[in-house]
Amino acid sequence: MARYIMLINSEHCMDCKACVVACQQRNGVPYGFHRNWVHETKSQASACGFKFQPGACMHCEDPSCVAACPTGATWKARDGVVHIDRSRCIGCGSCIEACPYHARFRHPLTGTADKCDYCMGSTPGETPACVAVCPMHCRTFGDLDDPSSAVAKIAATHKLVHIVPKGSGARPTLAYLETTTPASLPAASTVSHPVEAIRPFSKVVTWVGGAVLAALAGTFVRQLVKPSEREDEEIAAQAKKTEAASARQEEDKA
Amino acid sequence: MMIRRHSRSAIFMHWFNAVCWLFLLFSGFALLVGDMQPIGQWWRNLWVALFGERGLLVAHLLVGSVWVAVYAIYILTSCRREVLPFLREILHFKPASDLVWCFRKGLWLVLGPKVMLKMGVDPKLPPQGFYNAGQRMVAVLAVAASIGLAITGVAMGYFSGNVSWALGENALLWCIVVHFACAGVMAIFLPVHIYMAALAPGEGPALRSMFTGFVPQSHAQHHNPLWFASLKAAGALGGETQEQHSNVAQKG
Ligand code: HEM
Repeated sequence: MARYIMLINSEHCMDCKACVVACQQRNGVPYGFHRNWVHETKSQASACGFKFQPGACMHCEDPSCVAACPTGATWKARDGVVHIDRSRCIGCGSCIEACPYHARFRHPLTGTADKCDYCMGSTPGETPACVAVCPMHCRTFGDLDDPSSAVAKIAATHKLVHIVPKGSGARPTLAYLETTTPASLPAASTVSHPVEAIRPFSKVVTWVGGAVLAALAGTFVRQLVKPSEREDEEIAAQAKKTEAASARQEEDKA
Repeated sequence: MMIRRHSRSAIFMHWFNAVCWLFLLFSGFALLVGDMQPIGQWWRNLWVALFGERGLLVAHLLVGSVWVAVYAIYILTSCRREVLPFLREILHFKPASDLVWCFRKGLWLVLGPKVMLKMGVDPKLPPQGFYNAGQRMVAVLAVAASIGLAITGVAMGYFSGNVSWALGENALLWCIVVHFACAGVMAIFLPVHIYMAALAPGEGPALRSMFTGFVPQSHAQHHNPLWFASLKAAGALGGETQEQHSNVAQKG
């Protein structure tokens, strides 16, 4: 089984943003939106006064966007890629809010969630546009489980670092080589309000609904075995008997 | 003697509604994944096997749209004749007496009248009108949930995506939650309704009335004494009855 990941050498990035434009062009991302980015951080350590950090969907393990989707329109495939099926997406935006990297947006033309899929939707089998176009060869993409792949070779010889938004608990698969700036991202939520409320409410439906069904089944059986209507009749008959008996007593007295 | 209880159109709408509701509830739950799935993953797998991933959403939207459209026509055409009288009927609550009714009816079904007498609880039910307290409660919930589902469903289905009148993300997020809440509440109460209407002892004539439109006078007298009394007071008894219809038919 393949295990696709992207590795980025951010120290080589010169912020040309060719990756962003190439991605927009290949995937039909409208002007003003983007599936990937280059973060700029002021830094004295750099000759130009900035450090650059290219990024995109981190194709996380156990992704919060997948957990937030109520309809299963986004999922993590076994090859490690987090996909979106537009035909199943109802555009609720729950996943967009749940991504701590802000890697998702609502596509204004389709109305559905959109993000990096390693160009598998637009050009299956091709090198992703951002990788192909980078003049500094910052980005590498491939199958980590294939020892002959470029990513496997780079991963074997470099320290891989991940950037995680504070408090998010995200487990990204996209990795940077040796070092990257910033080393972490500002705190971001991985829950999607108010859709998150469905989770506990669903439990209530399961348990209360189950209890109601069980109680109804019990009542149904009880009424089969020992109908309340027959008890009513017996009570009425008993009452009649007592009445008749007391009437006889009255008569006897008289 | 039979009395007219439900009109033909009300009967049609009830069963049309029931079929749509059950389909929408079951297929709607099947759309949910993970912790949001109230029945279990097997339920989703079953429906996906039948309809496909996309087919499930399409079928849910299609049936929901037909349900909303047919109801809109029904409400517009029989507002004065049926819808408003129905709403007036089900909204007629008498809290104290209604609570006593629900409590005693529940105990009567679960424990039986003999145990109730032993506990010192009178099994006699407070007299009811056209609908009993339980029916009115379920009916109000069903109407409220239906309105909530229809509005949020139409919003998610037709006011989202690539249209200029699409709602914002926040509005759509709330729509999902409200949609689920309405469905979830009814998922709990519908089994009660179906049991009380179709399986509970003594309800046979009422169930048949949801097909034929008529209940025996004796049944109404016993189960709905207030309704019966109002019919009597209005001189409506001995009016349009099934017997008379069939008599006329025979003579003709
Ligand atoms: C197989 C399923 C169902 C059966 C056997 C059933 C049966 C009945 C019957 C017999 C009545 C008439 C009671 C009377 O005349 O006293 C009734 C009324 C009604 N039904 Fe259903 N029903 C079913 C499903 C549903 C569903 C799915 C809904 C909607 C969500 C619904 C909503 C109502 C409402 C609002 C009324 C009027 C007042 C009330 O009894 O609460 N029913 N049903």
